[in-house]
Amino acid sequence: MNYFPDEVLEHIFDFVTSQRDRNSVSQVCKPWYKIESSSRQKVFVGNCYAISPERVIERFPGLKSITLKGKPHFADFNLVPPDWGGFVYPWIEAFARNNMGLEELKLKRMIISDECLELISRSFANFKSLVLVSCEGFSTDGLAAIASNCSFLRELDLQENDVEDHRGHWLSCFPDTCTSLVSLNFACLKGDVNLAALERLVARSPNLRSLRLNHAVPLDILQKILMRAPHLVDLGVGSYVHDPDSETYNKLVTALQKCKSVRSLSGFLEAAPQCLSAFHLICPNLTSLNLSYAPGIHGTELRKLIRHCRKLQRLWILDCIGDEGLEVVASTCKDLQEIRVFPSDPFVGNAAVTEVGLVALSSGCPKLHSILYFCQQMTNAALITVAKNRPNFTRFRLCILDPTKPDAVTNQPLDEGFGAIVHSCKGLRRLSMSGRLTDQVFLYIGMYAEQLEMISIAFAGDTDKGMQYLLNGCKKLRKLEIRDCPFGNAALLMDVGKYETMRSLWMSSCNVTLGGCKSLAKKMPMLNVEIINETDQMDISADDRQKAEKMFLYRTLAGRRKDTPEFVWTL
Amino acid sequence: MGRGAPSSSSSSFESSNYPSVSNKSSFSQLKKDLSTDLRLGLSISASQQDNPSTASDQQQLLDWPPVKPFLRKALATEENECSSATFFVKVYMEGIPIGRKLNLLAHDGYHDLIQTLDQMFSTSILWPEMDIEHSGQCHVLTYEDREGDWLIVGDVPWEMFLPSVRRLKITRADSL
Repeated sequence: MNYFPDEVLEHIFDFVTSQRDRNSVSQVCKPWYKIESSSRQKVFVGNCYAISPERVIERFPGLKSITLKGKPHFADFNLVPPDWGGFVYPWIEAFARNNMGLEELKLKRMIISDECLELISRSFANFKSLVLVSCEGFSTDGLAAIASNCSFLRELDLQENDVEDHRGHWLSCFPDTCTSLVSLNFACLKGDVNLAALERLVARSPNLRSLRLNHAVPLDILQKILMRAPHLVDLGVGSYVHDPDSETYNKLVTALQKCKSVRSLSGFLEAAPQCLSAFHLICPNLTSLNLSYAPGIHGTELRKLIRHCRKLQRLWILDCIGDEGLEVVASTCKDLQEIRVFPSDPFVGNAAVTEVGLVALSSGCPKLHSILYFCQQMTNAALITVAKNRPNFTRFRLCILDPTKPDAVTNQPLDEGFGAIVHSCKGLRRLSMSGRLTDQVFLYIGMYAEQLEMISIAFAGDTDKGMQYLLNGCKKLRKLEIRDCPFGNAALLMDVGKYETMRSLWMSSCNVTLGGCKSLAKKMPMLNVEIINETDQMDISADDRQKAEKMFLYRTLAGRRKDTPEFVWTL
Repeated sequence: MGRGAPSSSSSSFESSNYPSVSNKSSFSQLKKDLSTDLRLGLSISASQQDNPSTASDQQQLLDWPPVKPFLRKALATEENECSSATFFVKVYMEGIPIGRKLNLLAHDGYHDLIQTLDQMFSTSILWPEMDIEHSGQCHVLTYEDREGDWLIVGDVPWEMFLPSVRRLKITRADSL
């Protein structure tokens, strides 16, 4: 291969698309490293603090698309204080300064300001795609800048961001010359939008295939939009009027009849089941359905809807579907690959599904490999049955609302049940567990979960041995997050080299002490060991025997970060 | 928050020796710490978790269950709106000038609706599955649709009925 000219190698490498594969290619030899690095266009950075933007730019001068992730995963559950970090500005500023031809930016759990959005819109002439997931720090003014200045914008996808809403003028900022939109998702915006501007925008976007509206778009506008965009593949319905007049309803039915390409449906943010029957028209072609924001759709209406969805591959639903509803899913959706069942009432702590629904899904859906399941209770017998039925699970996340609840029938811990899951599902890459769990379950995981990359643990285990089994056994472990478990310094310090093979470790409300963390930081200079201290009493010279309430460590080539807030110490 | 009972170093699990301290109580402790005064009068035990909480439990844990804040907020607003939409229609009974109002969406189907109306108006509404031995005293349920026509309830599927119904009327079976 070394006798081929560079252009040939580069051409061959073009066919290698996954980042992991390209990383492997670059490690074969120096010439391959050079060619691969100079030709790589898409880069994924799982932890924005693991490497500096300058280094990324230096290595990949041809970079056009970058994905960055910021805050630790548990930030999704309010465990990380705001302003912890994850600011994207330094990256954008570096890209702009170095005249990078950035075209695509995808951020997850990061802070992006309006100034930053404006900088993006002015610095990258070919900017095409902005995807923000669970981000914050910006307002609709920033969106206005993107709309105004990015002439070739194809994708603006806002997923579950916390956006300060200054009303809907940003939509009017798309110039009349902007006709390139393929995907527009503003479902998470809380405020009103300029409906006339929206209609005009849709009318001049012939390539629009994905459109997700927010609650401020009423049914009559939806119907008009659908008439103008019959080629939509992905639709997010906004609000639902409770009592639409028959004319609007009929027009909606007519519009939906024309939408033969819709494969993905979501939204129904303020849903009344009344008009659902209009959507029965498109159900037979749906491969993806997300009703997790629609608690108003349940009972018989929901079951009727599901019965029409024979081709469903992905379903996100609330637990008010009930075990009975899940049985309907199991008997109807034979192509189902992924299901997420969210708790409709997270406050009271009562879920409407149990182990019965889970077992039904595992036996009815042969292609099911990814599940997130919030439930009221679980049993070992059910988990063992699920493991037997579905050895093809790659992602298995179970959350019992009472996190230390034992087997609902035998009162035993759920060790055997989860043990069966990891033993049977040889391709399992991601696992979350709950319920009463002892060290035993970790022994099983260490023994059997060979492909496991990410695991989340809460309120589990008895002694340090639990964590030790995990660290010893799971060779491919990349992300470990633990809260409220009795693991201490002995477990933390058992194999310090392990953390350099992982992206990160989160431990909160465990038994690790400040002293233990300091010791780890000293031994491993390539790790950033950060302590989040939310109480005033503690300070850096505090008693080393004090518990470290929240610790987050990650491997990095960038040294300690310079943007830590007051309450975060890097040891 | 205390965790990790100083248990034995044996790694083999024996159910009878299962330590009663540690994680189980740590979660209840977490919840207890946040409960309001109203709960002080109750005996607090781990099983408390299974009881539906009172309105005073608004000091909820914000980090359990692990649900994104975005979804939490969305469901909270819905919860306040009775976690469901409403669709009230007027219901009149023949011969009674004052009508009632009924939330159609609180019902699963025709059977459920008839039951509620029977109770509301202290009558028996004729329904295909019922026996009609008292047909003389029975009533029949009719509705006005969007076009202003009066029709017998029950001919079309429930989900077709809902978008078209405007109001209900209970008439005497023998007057039809």
